[in-house]
Amino acid sequence: MIIPVRCFSCGKVVSQVYEEFKVRCEEYQKVVKSGEKPTETPKEILDDLGVDRYCCRRMIISHVDLLQESAPYE
Amino acid sequence: MKIEVIDLKPKKLVIKIKDIEPYIVNSIRRILISELPKLAINDVVIYDNTSALFDEIIAHRLGLIPIPTDLSLLNFRDKCVCKGKGCPSCTVRYTLSKENEGTVHSGDLQPAEESWAITEDDIPIVELYKDQRLILEVEAILGTPKTHAKWQSVISPGYRFNPTIEIDKKRINEIKDFIKDLPSNLVTLINDKLEINDISKLPILESYIDQEKIDFIKIKKDPNNIIFSFETDGSIDANNALLKSIEILKEKYNEFGKLLKTIK
Repeated sequence: MIIPVRCFSCGKVVSQVYEEFKVRCEEYQKVVKSGEKPTETPKEILDDLGVDRYCCRRMIISHVDLLQESAPYE
Repeated sequence: MKIEVIDLKPKKLVIKIKDIEPYIVNSIRRILISELPKLAINDVVIYDNTSALFDEIIAHRLGLIPIPTDLSLLNFRDKCVCKGKGCPSCTVRYTLSKENEGTVHSGDLQPAEESWAITEDDIPIVELYKDQRLILEVEAILGTPKTHAKWQSVISPGYRFNPTIEIDKKRINEIKDFIKDLPSNLVTLINDKLEINDISKLPILESYIDQEKIDFIKIKKDPNNIIFSFETDGSIDANNALLKSIEILKEKYNEFGKLLKTIK
């Protein structure tokens, strides 16, 4: 659905970095597809955003954004 | 007792405490987890919600938003002069109204008084599409984390014993061979002294020592030399959280002492 506000395990607020992570990750995938060397890997993006523990990292990495698909149904 | 600050940020605190018993640090840790109060949204009145999420999900997401808390200005509702009715000294009110397409963020919650504005203002609450809208009113009150996790302001508090690495100086060549197999930047060997670069990566070194069954490196942990660390979610400064928790602990012991005096 929508990114959870906090990490399930430790309670750190992770939802505010998701949007930025998504944008930077798409940029990374685009660069990799075109065969060039990316400036930052998803690992480095998460480190830069201050998501240190693996419990918080999995919240962001494994999330699937599906809210738009259920939006037509009230 | 000696205190050395390793890292102090608004949301993070790491300190090294020398000559202290572990139970003192543990009691502070437990106060941080279960007794330190903070503001959280407790009552939600939804006037209109045509978004894709249910009212309950939105209410739950609102509850988890950290609200900057000034503990000197607020009382618990059941101990307030208004006797639980809700007044400005125990309740903080916010309104939210959004209709256009786009994401509703926590910053869209408009406080009744400007001083209670939410600092973590980019937490997404719900995404609105087409003509969907969300209109609601909320009340935030003080609470303690032992009643509900939404009132928990401190994240991952913990302490570890400061390690000292001892090596057998006669077998220096074996140590050099062992270090070659370790991940880079884990340890440094200077003048017969082995030092770990990042103390949080000690378990990695320990697992290598276990795996290779090494007896020429020993890690000693001193229980009177403690590294204490915790983070906060932004509703209270790390520094203030620690000071407040010590105050709460003091109050508890005072109360206990008074009760003991009544025993004859």
